[in-house]
Amino acid sequence: MGPLFPLGTIGEEFNMLIGFFIGIGFGFLLEAAGFTNTRKLAGVFYGYDFVVLKVFFSAAITAAIGLYLMNHYGLIEMDAIFYPKTFWIPTLIGGLIMAFGFLIGGFCPGTSICAAVTGKIDAMVFVLGAIIGIFGYAMTYEPLWENLRNSGKMGEVNIADWMGISDGLFILLMTIVAAIMFFAVTRIQSKVTSKRDYQL
Amino acid sequence: MNSYLAGILIGVFMIAAYYFSGEGLGASGALKAVVVTAVNDVNHDYAKEAHFFAKRVANEEQSPIKSWLIFEIIGVIAGAIISAALAGRLKLEIGKGMRITNRSRLIFALIGGILFGVGSQLGRGCTSGMVMSGMGVLSLSGFIGLVAIFGGGYVIAYFFRKLWI
Amino acid sequence: MMKKVLDLFYVAILLVGAFWAFIVNSTSDEPIDRIQPCDLVDIVAHSDKYMTTDELARRLMSDDPTLTLVDLRTPTEFKKYSLQGAINIPLAELLDEKYVDIINQDVQTVVFYANSSDLSAKAWMLTKRLGYNNNYILRGGLNHWVETILRPREPKETAVRAEFELYSFRRAASAYFGGGSVTGESVVAKPKAAPIKRKKKEAAGGGCD
Repeated sequence: MGPLFPLGTIGEEFNMLIGFFIGIGFGFLLEAAGFTNTRKLAGVFYGYDFVVLKVFFSAAITAAIGLYLMNHYGLIEMDAIFYPKTFWIPTLIGGLIMAFGFLIGGFCPGTSICAAVTGKIDAMVFVLGAIIGIFGYAMTYEPLWENLRNSGKMGEVNIADWMGISDGLFILLMTIVAAIMFFAVTRIQSKVTSKRDYQL
Repeated sequence: MNSYLAGILIGVFMIAAYYFSGEGLGASGALKAVVVTAVNDVNHDYAKEAHFFAKRVANEEQSPIKSWLIFEIIGVIAGAIISAALAGRLKLEIGKGMRITNRSRLIFALIGGILFGVGSQLGRGCTSGMVMSGMGVLSLSGFIGLVAIFGGGYVIAYFFRKLWI
Repeated sequence: MMKKVLDLFYVAILLVGAFWAFIVNSTSDEPIDRIQPCDLVDIVAHSDKYMTTDELARRLMSDDPTLTLVDLRTPTEFKKYSLQGAINIPLAELLDEKYVDIINQDVQTVVFYANSSDLSAKAWMLTKRLGYNNNYILRGGLNHWVETILRPREPKETAVRAEFELYSFRRAASAYFGGGSVTGESVVAKPKAAPIKRKKKEAAGGGCD
């Protein structure tokens, strides 16, 4: 039964090795989906390429369904898995800052690393910027950021619980909404790109 | 590759990540580990005391760089290179919109990176780690991040359109 | 056109999966009164959950009255070989009403065992999640019991003194438990895990905390 490392079924070294192979899969798929192309990434905000939404939601839904079913059939123990604590204030504000970062920089950390290693100079600069940003944040942490970062503490909150519905229902609703959205954005994309050539 | 298929496969790898290591896919955490390790190596005493670093450097035996996330990121690098090589996309270039110069693009990339560095630390993760992996376990924080990043993005996209279209 | 069909196909897969999760959710009854996930992860990380084979041997040899051994395997396997004084509760029946006083109490030290650590770990997790204490996993299970207690291996000449002392203890234990006369074939193939160097850190790392 998973998760194998926290339950002691596999050792630390083996766990790291598996992490490496999982990383290969992730990196390969990000590149194959075209996420090293910064204009494709920005396309989600301008309507000419919705690849980000499609990949993102497909991945999240697949994982949510898979983990839920595995937990139900006893293949994995969700209680032993890392579960992020919800701090709604810094997450909201951090998210807005990241939105700026995305639109100005054209990447997010994961895609920027993929792009940087495949030769995109702008991505390399982005990674450098991110490291500078983290460093700057770290050095000014106590006076500037610490209180903000720990505000809005809600503990580990499951969104289905928060909404008062069951996990299964939430997954179903999320998937249906996503399916409708996929249909809608596909239409929008063909309309927008038929007007101009975006040379992706 | 078909976007939905890529997404589903990424989802599968995320499940695998949770199944084996108990944690999800991430990226900004790796960059943070680089910063933490560097500062720790240069001045351990400072790192021990400073709130930002203290927890990560407390265990003197284990370097903060030896984490699952780092091994995952190394794999990501390898995977990206393999995919690009197979598709002939391995080349040195600058991706940008048509209306700005290369120089502007690089400056903006730097600024964007810095903003993302700060934002990801405050928000406790980046799109892959916090949002995507968070949504995978149905965590509220992931969805808040989703709304903040994408919602916020749509609102301000208009003002940055010259960079892209 | 082909691309459109593929797109629809993948989205359909997602919808099917979602329906499956929904149906499964509505028709099952989840146990109530569970420990919150965040607390459980802390508990898992900091809990003392293992008992070594050496420790168990010590307790059995000193006739520890506070020890309860629970064999999680099937009755057939139990009959073929079991540890002295053990009760047989197959894992599938562990949470039955009639056993609740055995797994939920604070006088006895209950040790779950099976052929390896797998079933015991599941049993431990199940009972921990319900808030029951004093349950332990026999680390390595019967396989490890055979290797360390019944058929202990002689340390190399260059080993430290502590290893030789442990070995003499184990030889005595082996004699006590009738080692060597056990066929030891009923045990399942061991997983090839490297020795687990457990340090007291979080059970699962992750995130940017």
